Amino acid sequence: MSAVLERPVGGPRGRTTVRIGPASAVLRWRQVVVPLAGLVVLVLVSALSIGRGDYPIGIPDVLRTLAGLGEGPQNFIVLQLRAPRVIVGLLVGLALGVAGALFQTFARNPLASPDTLGITVGASVGAVAALVLTGGGSVGALLGGFGVQLAALFGALVTGLLLFLLAWRDGIDGYRLVLVGIALWSVGGALVDWLLTNAQVYDAAAAYVWITGSLNARTWDQAVPLALALAVLVPLSLATGRALGVLQFGDDTARGLGLRLPMAQAAVVLLAVALTAVAVSAAGPITFVALVVPQVAVRLTGGSRPPLLASGLLGAVLVVSADLVTRTLLPEALPVGILTAVIGAPYLLWLLVRGRRRSTL
Amino acid sequence: MTATHSRTEVLRGSPDGAAPGRVRLAAEHVRLAYDDTVVVHDLDLELTEGSFTAIVGPNGCGKSTLLRALGRLLRPTGGQVLLDGRAIARTPTREVAKVLGLLPQSPIAPEGLTVADLVARGRHPHQSWVRQWSRDDEAVVAEALEWTDMAELAGRPVDELSGGQRQRAWISMALAQGTDLLLLDEPTTYLDLAHQIDVLELVGRLHGERGRTVAVVLHDLNLAARYAERLVAMKDGVLVASGTPAEVLTEQLLADVFDLEARIVPDPVTGTPMVVPVRRLR
Repeated sequence: MSAVLERPVGGPRGRTTVRIGPASAVLRWRQVVVPLAGLVVLVLVSALSIGRGDYPIGIPDVLRTLAGLGEGPQNFIVLQLRAPRVIVGLLVGLALGVAGALFQTFARNPLASPDTLGITVGASVGAVAALVLTGGGSVGALLGGFGVQLAALFGALVTGLLLFLLAWRDGIDGYRLVLVGIALWSVGGALVDWLLTNAQVYDAAAAYVWITGSLNARTWDQAVPLALALAVLVPLSLATGRALGVLQFGDDTARGLGLRLPMAQAAVVLLAVALTAVAVSAAGPITFVALVVPQVAVRLTGGSRPPLLASGLLGAVLVVSADLVTRTLLPEALPVGILTAVIGAPYLLWLLVRGRRRSTL
Repeated sequence: MTATHSRTEVLRGSPDGAAPGRVRLAAEHVRLAYDDTVVVHDLDLELTEGSFTAIVGPNGCGKSTLLRALGRLLRPTGGQVLLDGRAIARTPTREVAKVLGLLPQSPIAPEGLTVADLVARGRHPHQSWVRQWSRDDEAVVAEALEWTDMAELAGRPVDELSGGQRQRAWISMALAQGTDLLLLDEPTTYLDLAHQIDVLELVGRLHGERGRTVAVVLHDLNLAARYAERLVAMKDGVLVASGTPAEVLTEQLLADVFDLEARIVPDPVTGTPMVVPVRRLR
C-alpha cells in the first residue's frame, strides 16, 4: 500500500490529492495551514493566560507543568487554580465555533448562529429561573452543585428542540429556521427580563453575571463533563462535512445528488444544538463567538463554506484571548462575554449593512 | 478532444446491453399535490431508453411538478414512479442518484464555490467518507469540464459567471454525476436566445453523443420542437398530447392548451414545426 500525493490535473492551485490504498481525499493547503496555525496560537495564548496572575509563570514553565513535569507550588497553581478556567474557555470556544459553522452552512446564512436562533437565550432562561426561583442561596446545593448548569443545559436543549420542531416540515428550510429562531430569541429574552424584574437584588446580580457569560471560578467540575461531551460531539460534527458540502446547495440539488436530506438536516441541527447547549451551560452565553468566528475562518481558508475544524480552533483562540484581555489588560475584571459582544456587535452591524446576497435575515 | 475521448467509457451513460425502447422511468397513475391543492391528476408517462422528451404547457399546468415527481423530489399522493421497473420511493436515494441526475430550475451555488468544485460535487453519490476523490472522480470531472468547454473557467467562482456560463457549469456537474437519465427543469430560463440555443445544443449533444435519456421542461415551443424527439403537452395537470413534435404541435392543440390562435409553419432550418402566434383566444 502506498501513499500518493499529486496536484489535480487542470484543477485549481493550492490543493493536493492524497491517495492511500483505497482511501482518497483532496487537501487544500489553506484548510490545513489555518487550523494548524490556530492550534499553535491556541497553545501559546492558553499558556500565556495560565501564566498571568498574582504569581506570574513563564510560558515554558506553564507548558512543562501541563506536560506533567512541574514542581510543587507551580503544579497546584497551574493545574488546580488556573488551567480549568482556561480549558473551559477553550472548550466553550471550540464548541461555539463548530456550532456556528454548522448552523451557518445549514441555513446558507452567515447570520444564523446559536445567538440569533435563540438557543443561548434558552440557556439563560433555564439558568436565571434556577437562580431566581429557588433563591440564590440554595442553588449551590441543588443537584450536587450543578443546579444552574443543568438548568441552562435543559433550557438550551428545550429551545433547540422547539426550534427544530417548529422549523420542521418534511425537512428544514434555512430561512424558516432563522425566522423561528428569531421568534424564540424574543420570547426567551422577554422571559429572562420578567424573571429578573421579579428577582431579589442579590439573585438578580448573580443571574446578570451568568447571562453575560463568564469563566470566573470554573473548575475541573465544569471542564471534565464538557471535554467528555465534546469528545463525542466534535468528531460527529466533523463527520457531517461531506453532507454539508452538498447540503449547502438548494434542497433539490442536494437530494438529486443522493443526500438523505431529512436525516442529514436533523443530524446537523441536533449536533449544533447539543454543542451550543453544553458550551453555554458551562460558561453562560458567551455571545457572538459562534456568529463571528466561522465567517472569519472561511475568509482565512477560502472555499465556499465555514470550515468546521478551523472555526472550532479559532473560536477557542477568541474566547481564551478575550478572557486573557478582560483579566489582565482591563482595569476591572469583566465577564468575558462583554468583550466578545464588544467585538461581535459591530461585526454583526457590518454584516447587515453590507447586505450580501443570500444573507438577508 | 481526441485525447479525452479515450476516457469516455467512464462517462458513457448507457449500461451494456441496454436496448433502445426499454422503459427507464415511468409515472403510473400519478397524482401530485402540494398540501391540499391537487396539481396533477392520474397521469401516466413513460420515458424510454435514449429518448429526448420535452414537457410543454402553459404556466401552472403542473409540468415542473411532474418533473419533480419523476426525480423523486416530490412524493405522489397517488400512483407511483418507477425507475427501471422499481418504485423510486423505495429505492435508496443514493442508488437513484447514480442513475438519475436532475437540474432544478435556477439552482443555487454557494458564494465563493469554484466551477471545478461545483462539478466535483457531481461525484457525491459515487464517493464515501473514505473514498473522497478517486482517480475515476478526477478523470470524469476533468472530462466533464472539457466537454462543456468549462475547463478554462474551472478556477472561477460560479457566482461571478454569466447566466449562460453558469448553466453550462451546472450541466457539467450533471454530466460528472454520470447518470443515464437526466431531468432538466427549464434550463433556459433567464437566458438570452443565443445562450438558450447554446444550452439546448449541449443537452442535445448529451443525448446524441452520450446516449443520455433526457426529459426537459421547456417554455419555448419552437425550441422544444427543434431539439426534442418527443413532446408531451400538459394542461391543468392532465397529459393532453404526446408524440413527435409534428404530431403534437397543431393549431388545434395550441388553441386548446395555450388559448392561442397560431399558424404552424415548417422551421426553415430544421423542418420541425414552428409556431407563429396570431393572437390570444378568450
